[in-house]
This record gives sequence, C-alpha cells and structure tokens, in this order.
Amino acid sequence: MGIKIVPRYGNTLKDKLYLPAIFGGMKTTISHFTKNLRDTTNIKTQCYPEVGPIDITDRYRGVHRLTHREDDSVRCVACFMCSTACPAECIFIEATQRKDGVDEKMPKKFEIDLLECVFCGGCVEACPCDAIRMDTGIFTFIAQKREDFVLNKEQLLANKSLGEEK
Amino acid sequence: MATITVDGKEIYAKDGSVLIEELLANDINIPHFCYHPALGKDGNCRMCMVEIEGKKRPQIACDTPVSDGMIIRTKGENINRVKRQILELELINHPIDCPICDQAGECSLQNYYMDVGLYDSRLDTPKNKKRKHTDLGANVMLDQDRCVLCTRCVRFTKNITKTHELGVVVRNDHSYISTFPGTKLSNPYAMNVIDLCPVGALTSKDFRFKQRVWFLKPEVAICDGCSRGCSINVDHNREKYKDDIVYRYRPKYNKEVNGYFICDYGRLSYKKENDNRLKNAYIRGMESEFEYAILKLERLLKRYNSKTLLLISPNLSLEEIYRLKKLAQKIDAQINGFDENFDENFGDDFLRKSDKTPNRKSIELLNIKNTKEDLQEQIKNKEFVLFIGREDMQTVENLDFDGSIGVMTYKDFKEKNKPDIVVPIVSHTGRAGTFINCDGFVQFSSCEIKRDMQSVKILDFLEIILNDGVTECEKVWSSGLNKEEFLNSISLSMIKSKSIKIEIK
Ligand code: SF4
Ligand code: SF4
Ligand code: SF4
Ligand code: SF4
Ligand code: FES
Repeated sequence: MGIKIVPRYGNTLKDKLYLPAIFGGMKTTISHFTKNLRDTTNIKTQCYPEVGPIDITDRYRGVHRLTHREDDSVRCVACFMCSTACPAECIFIEATQRKDGVDEKMPKKFEIDLLECVFCGGCVEACPCDAIRMDTGIFTFIAQKREDFVLNKEQLLANKSLGEEK
Repeated sequence: MATITVDGKEIYAKDGSVLIEELLANDINIPHFCYHPALGKDGNCRMCMVEIEGKKRPQIACDTPVSDGMIIRTKGENINRVKRQILELELINHPIDCPICDQAGECSLQNYYMDVGLYDSRLDTPKNKKRKHTDLGANVMLDQDRCVLCTRCVRFTKNITKTHELGVVVRNDHSYISTFPGTKLSNPYAMNVIDLCPVGALTSKDFRFKQRVWFLKPEVAICDGCSRGCSINVDHNREKYKDDIVYRYRPKYNKEVNGYFICDYGRLSYKKENDNRLKNAYIRGMESEFEYAILKLERLLKRYNSKTLLLISPNLSLEEIYRLKKLAQKIDAQINGFDENFDENFGDDFLRKSDKTPNRKSIELLNIKNTKEDLQEQIKNKEFVLFIGREDMQTVENLDFDGSIGVMTYKDFKEKNKPDIVVPIVSHTGRAGTFINCDGFVQFSSCEIKRDMQSVKILDFLEIILNDGVTECEKVWSSGLNKEEFLNSISLSMIKSKSIKIEIK
C-alpha cells in the first residue's frame, strides 16, 4: 500500500493571526444575511419539522414494510433469511402453517425492533421473495415506550411504499 | 488388502469391499442419494459416479467392488459435468421451494447443487406437479414434489422394520412415494425415514416450521427413554431474549448400541425437557425462594440423619447415584432404588426395552437395594423419605409411611402440598453423566444445556452436604468411583469417545 502525503495548511503568518480569517467569514455571513433579508423566497433551509423533506430518493432506507401478494395476502413465507442476515438480530419471526392454500408457510409473528435495527438493508437483500422492503420513506419515528418501537406484523403490513403514497 | 489411488492419493482398502464405503471412510466427499450404510446400495440415483481408469464411462461407486491398483478420480471437470447433468435431471420437476422447506440447510440436493449445479435453468415446459404436504402418519410429512425417488424410505420399511408401508407407485416421471390407499405409516421406528430421506420430501410434523436448522446447536447425549440408551444428538437453541429450548432429538450413529436409528418414543421424549417442568421450590405446598428451599432441605437431611430413606430413581446418572450412596453412608441413612417403570408392551426385538429407565444397571452394580421387599424393610422406623429424580409418592404411601416427604424432581406434579419440601432439579439434558445400558455398555452423556429455569444439579446439591469440592463427573470418578470393581478397566476419557462393554455377572 502506498502512503499518501497530505499537505498541511495553516502555517503562514496570516493564518496564525486568525483575525483575517474571522473577518473573511463575517463578510460571507453578512452578505448572505442581507441577500436573504431582501428576498425570503429563495432560502435554502427548511422549517423542519413543520415542513418535511421532499427530496427522499427511491434508494433511501426508511422503516421496513412487509409486501403483499396480488391477492393482498402476506408475501412473506417465514423463511428466516432476513433474520439470519440481520447483523443486529432484531427480526423476530415465528412461523406457522398457512391454511388458505396460497402457500405452505407464513409468519405467525413478525417483529422488527427499530431501536436495535441499524438500517443496513441486509434483510431486504436477503429476502428471496421480495417480501420485505425499506422503501416507505419513513425516516422519523416517535414513541413513548421502548416496546412501541417494536413493529409487529400488522404494522409492517400496513406501511406503504413511498411511491404509493405520493 | 488393496491399494487404490484416489485423486492422486493412495489409500488402503479391503479387497472386494464396496468402493463408496471405503471412500466415505476416508472422508472423501462423494455425493450419493440412494446408498445408505444401513440400507446398502440400490443403484438408482447415479449420483455417486466416479471415473475409474481403464473404464470407458464413469461408474457408480456404490456398486463397484474395490480391486488392487484401481485409479479413481472423484474431482475434475469431466466428472463434474456428469454430476451436473444428473442434478439437472433431478431438478426437472423439483419445486425448488427451499425457503419453506425444513430440510434446507441439511439437504443433500442443496449441498450437491451448490458444489456442481448448473444454476441456469434450461427448462421451458411446465413442471409435473404432485401432492405436497401429505400427512403419511406417524408424524411424517411427505412432499412428493421434492422426492428424488432414492427409495431409502421404502427400503427402510422393507428391510429394517419389515412393515412394508411405503412403495413407489406409477411409472416414469410421474412416480411418487405413497402408502397403500387407506393405510398409514405406522411402526415404532417410522420417524427414522425423516433422517434417511436425503431431501425435504419426508419431514417431521413435530418439528415442522419450529426452527431453521442452521440456528440449532447439536449436543451429544444418551436417550433416557429405556434401558437401551441409544446415542442421540440433542438439537437446541436459545433465541434472543428467551430461554434455551430443545427442539428435537436425532439418532447419532453408534455401532455398538443403536446403529443409525432410534425409536419414535425416544425421539419425541425431548418434549419433557421443555414442557411440564417444575419451575419453583415449594415448602409445605407454598412457593418458596429457591436458595432458601435448598438450605432447608439440607437442614432436614441433617435433622433426620439416620431416620432418612433416600429413594432414588434409575434415571439418575452413575455419578449421581454414587454420590447419593456416599451421602447415605455419611448421614447413616438408608438408600433404595426400587422403581416399577416397566412396560412389557414397549420392548421389542430391535431397540426398545421393557425397562423404561436408562440406568438401572448402575444401581445394581453399586449394590444398592432395589426390590420392594428391601424397601418395606428399610422404611421401618423412618421419619423422612427423600425422593430423588422421581415424584411417585404413592410408592411409600402404599407401604403405610406417614412421615415427612421431600421431593427433588424436574417434572411438575399435582400434589405439591403433600411433601414438606419440593426442590426442582435440572433435567436429563441439563447435566452430564454416565449411564450403563441393558447390555452393560458404559456410556457418557455429555449434553449440558444451561437454562434460566431455577433448578439445581444433584451433584452440586450433594457437595453442599458432603463438602468435599466434588461437583464434576471427572472429580466423582477420581474421588473413588474409578475404584469400583466393575469399572476397573474403564476410565471416563475412554467412554467419552465410545461405549464400552463391561462383563456383568
Ligand atoms: S435493516 Fe439491517 S439491522 Fe435492520 S432489520 Fe434489516 S438487516 Fe436487521
Ligand atoms: S421477509 Fe423475506 S426473508 Fe424474511 S422471512 Fe419473510 S420471506 Fe423470508
Ligand atoms: S421420500 Fe425421501 S427417502 Fe423416500 S424415496 Fe423420496 S427422496 Fe428418497
Ligand atoms: S429404544 Fe429406548 S433408548 Fe433407544 S430411542 Fe427408544 S426409548 Fe430411547
Ligand atoms: S448412491 Fe450410488 S447410485 Fe445412488
């Protein structure tokens, strides 16, 4: 491996005096301040949380959802691939016999602990059935108790993809 | 003796023996479906092909006798191409539903395909569909789609149990495994077909969807279902935030005792490790603090001293029984191992034995009295009976005993208000120990699963009273057990690797 020599800055007398840099910074701040004061319509910052972000991309990994089949039933077959892949071990599945003839196996319980999740997307990658996705665009979740951060099967099935909601 | 060369390496084999046996014995990976050491060859799957120098085409290793000077290749592009083609044929009608198949992770078809599979399907006609999740009876689920028609299961019911329940019906690629119309798979060893089936065609209804196999941790033990003492694998797992649970027993190959199989009763006896466990200590019927109850029991034993009778179970290990005998000597108490757990209908001429306890031989060999007459004699003038590993209080009630009773058991039972004290102990898979089976095989059960459940190991409890620092099997052996005459040619390290037979007069 080669070593990259990084040049060091800040050794000149001007840099060491600090004041020129401070006045330079003040100049930038004041020029933006007066510019924005004259025209408030073009300000780049947002009034979060009253105004949410509008630039969430399709690849953004938000809170998970469980997808549906064409007949609207749960797609997941409780194969445990996601929970095997999950580095945080925060997916809790219990499998059961599926009785409606669509398939043989389905999850009786499917829970994700969002407080333990590291939002790596490993579960989505691992799923052989495209049954779990992180395309909800939900980036903020608030609750009163720790237990409320554990999403159950019904909540995961109710989450919609960002595209559907738009 | 014959010398053969396999992939450039010389190995020694018996002249005339079957090639696949010698290859497997030398840890050479050789894919196979229909061959099984207990069932022999059938030659139908063609999966075990090897190249033999001088032969025009690849040969099946399961039906080729070894001869001196053979040169064999099991690797290389030529033979891989053959395997790939065979696997492609196997998969023509296979549903490839590994995500919902319990066999995934321990499936031969999956493993072989990972090694030499074609990966890109060339099939454009629809697959033949047969019946899925069919209940064959005896806890066995059949998925005809997944079957590779190796006929191991058929040959098991034909040659081993001789019950002939299974057969192959219909011809060519419509063939499937089935029972006769209106009949079910039913014999005391039926669930062995689940282990025999190399793919997920036969799976256990009992284990169905409970765990994926790659989460399970196998441990080695001795089945305590009867005095045969079959070798088993105990598959258990501790899920996050939960207690450790035993999910299944599987047979472990043991040439001396059980071969490749176990009975269904023994296989399903894992349930007692999880269910119906005694979870609390009780003093006079009231739930009590665990540590307090243990000290209380210790005090009771010291108080009653020679007025005590220890009624021990033949389910205890040799080490535990030996230490209990020591305790009896120390406090001058009586000890008895009378137990009526026989079932004449249970025994058969294969594995199952009518004596449904695993260690009665140890009680006999340690010269502990175990007849009803002895018990009648020993219980006279006694004021305290301590049941160890058992809770059959009627045994002493029938003898008009009306003193105090103490119970140390792992099973929950009804009349918990009857004994003065009840203390939960660890169950069979929770502690290691030695067992001597009906034929005198001394065997070590090493499985020691730790649980959150409140329970004490008998060896730990006895150490509190005997106060000599002996809590492990090793120490029990070196503290005097190894001087017992019947163990004079045996050491603990010997039985850890294999069952050893002792002469019993
Ligand atoms: S995103 Fe990563 S950490 Fe979160 S549940 Fe999926 S696999 Fe686990
Ligand atoms: S979400 Fe996908 S990977 Fe997870 S259990 Fe369901 S089917 Fe399997
Ligand atoms: S069910 Fe299993 S053991 Fe029986 S023939 Fe099919 S693959 Fe072989
Ligand atoms: S034959 Fe006896 S020891 Fe063997 S598995 Fe059955 S019950 Fe257990
Ligand atoms: S194992 Fe040799 S043909 Fe099946």
